[in-house]
Amino acid sequence: MSDTDVMIPDDTDQPVGRPERPNGPRNWRIGIALLLIVAAMWSWSGLDASLRDALEAPGKGWNIAKQMWTPAFNTVIERGAIGKIFESLYVAWIGTMIGAMLSFPLSFFGASNVAPAAFRVPIRMLFNAIRAVPELIVAMLLLSVTGLGPWAGALAIGLHSVGTLGKLSTEVIETSDEGPLEAISAAGGTFLEKTRWGMVPQVLPTVVGYWLFRFEINVRASAVLGLIGAGGIGGELVSQLSFRNFPEVGAVLLMVIAMVLVIDTISGFARRRIIAGSGRKIDDDDDSAAFEALRDLTGLGPEPV
Amino acid sequence: MSDTAVPATARPKKPRPQLTTYLLVIVLAAFTVFAARQIDLEWSSFIDMWTNPLWGRFWPVPWDWVLNRHNVFDALIETFQIAIISTVIGCTLALPIGFAMSKLTSPNSPTFWVSRTVMSIIRAVPDLFWGKLLVTAIGIGAFAGAWALTIFSLAVMVKLFSETVDAADPLPLEAARAAGGRHTPAVRTAVLPEVFPAYVAYALYVFELNIRASLVLGLVGAGGIGRIVETQRSTFNFDRLLGILIIMFVIIVIIEQISVAIRKRLV
Repeated sequence: MSDTDVMIPDDTDQPVGRPERPNGPRNWRIGIALLLIVAAMWSWSGLDASLRDALEAPGKGWNIAKQMWTPAFNTVIERGAIGKIFESLYVAWIGTMIGAMLSFPLSFFGASNVAPAAFRVPIRMLFNAIRAVPELIVAMLLLSVTGLGPWAGALAIGLHSVGTLGKLSTEVIETSDEGPLEAISAAGGTFLEKTRWGMVPQVLPTVVGYWLFRFEINVRASAVLGLIGAGGIGGELVSQLSFRNFPEVGAVLLMVIAMVLVIDTISGFARRRIIAGSGRKIDDDDDSAAFEALRDLTGLGPEPV
Repeated sequence: MSDTAVPATARPKKPRPQLTTYLLVIVLAAFTVFAARQIDLEWSSFIDMWTNPLWGRFWPVPWDWVLNRHNVFDALIETFQIAIISTVIGCTLALPIGFAMSKLTSPNSPTFWVSRTVMSIIRAVPDLFWGKLLVTAIGIGAFAGAWALTIFSLAVMVKLFSETVDAADPLPLEAARAAGGRHTPAVRTAVLPEVFPAYVAYALYVFELNIRASLVLGLVGAGGIGRIVETQRSTFNFDRLLGILIIMFVIIVIIEQISVAIRKRLV
């Protein structure tokens, strides 16, 4: 093989090979990694656990998991677990309805293309303030005043939902098309008629989609509320755990998982159907899918596009 | 102009909603009423609740007690520690598992299916259930809480991250494989740079989420400020409770603002 076969430009001293790595953000990266390690170590020191605890913990967890098999469905069903699953669903549903019915009218007053700043600012502050209080804390306050019962849980979930649903529906209203409103104005429509016939039909499909989202999140929330005595399946989990009846615990857990997955599937189907029926294109954009998943899971999330 | 016999001034016929729409609304309304009955929700209970004299015991807030470092702030720091360590561990583990959960970068299909199934089952159990379970398994305290949040935030993070990887450009990976790259280095050099900004953004979300969750973990005995909330509630010190609540509120708002600001810079 002659030298001429190798394609090296003559006018360079550089050997052929990898170009040098750009070195810009590397120092940053090392700094951030160090910061994270220090933060994690500081956090570890506060947990009051030795390395032995950490090594033993998975074994202890596995021990419990083993005892949960096989799940004792018969015993928990005899104790009315099915009814408690449904109670959790009722709590979530009523909470979602309270949230939806309160947030929908309010969100119009929070939208910049409907209401003046005098309404808008306080309503948005209200939404943000509500969103910042965890529903479990709200439920705990209500429960300590009213006594134990499922309806306090529903109310807590409803109040919290007003915040998140209000924020999301306000954003939907703000991005709505002005054309129909203008047309109604031109035909002599009043403010109320404009809102009813120009705005509501536009935003309703998306907003109802958010209600369903919220219902999915609320199903999880209402299961959790049972842990502090607000009725539903969470209470059953607590009582089985306190007697260390692990096969029964396993059965309750499987029922909760089934409930969550079934509701997610039904609600997801309904949401897709609503969006498809509204004639809008289903957004398969990469980001929005992940963000949807995020909101789905947590109720948090970036502003919808 | 149109040839129809209808005069131009006549109103067009109003489209009627479908029968199924009516039926659906009726069924849902009936279900709502039924559900409200089932959980003993009545209008009078709303009024009873707001007029309850117990609300008076929430005021005034004893700020001396609340701002005393040993009462609230120590527990608050524990809350942060739980959130930080579970975010760091959860998000670190989420990187390889997230790649395994995406069709694009999964090494083989058993890994793909097993990781996906396990993670979606973990996600279907709410975070506080994990807290309660682990408190039973490994004892009351912040350690159990950190475990619970690590597991749950891992499951949330891999879902978000693997969906971003799904949407990544497959061509660089193909190029890396065509050049003879083995699986792990090919994924690291061809996919990771593209999805890393999203990974950081999600990690920040998960941190926000973990802060919120760790504030209430103590209600099931898993450490943090919720522990103080629980003791004060069980001793009916409602005024102190309100003070703690205000502090929690301020912290959530501050964390959210910081997180939003960082995310804006990332995008």
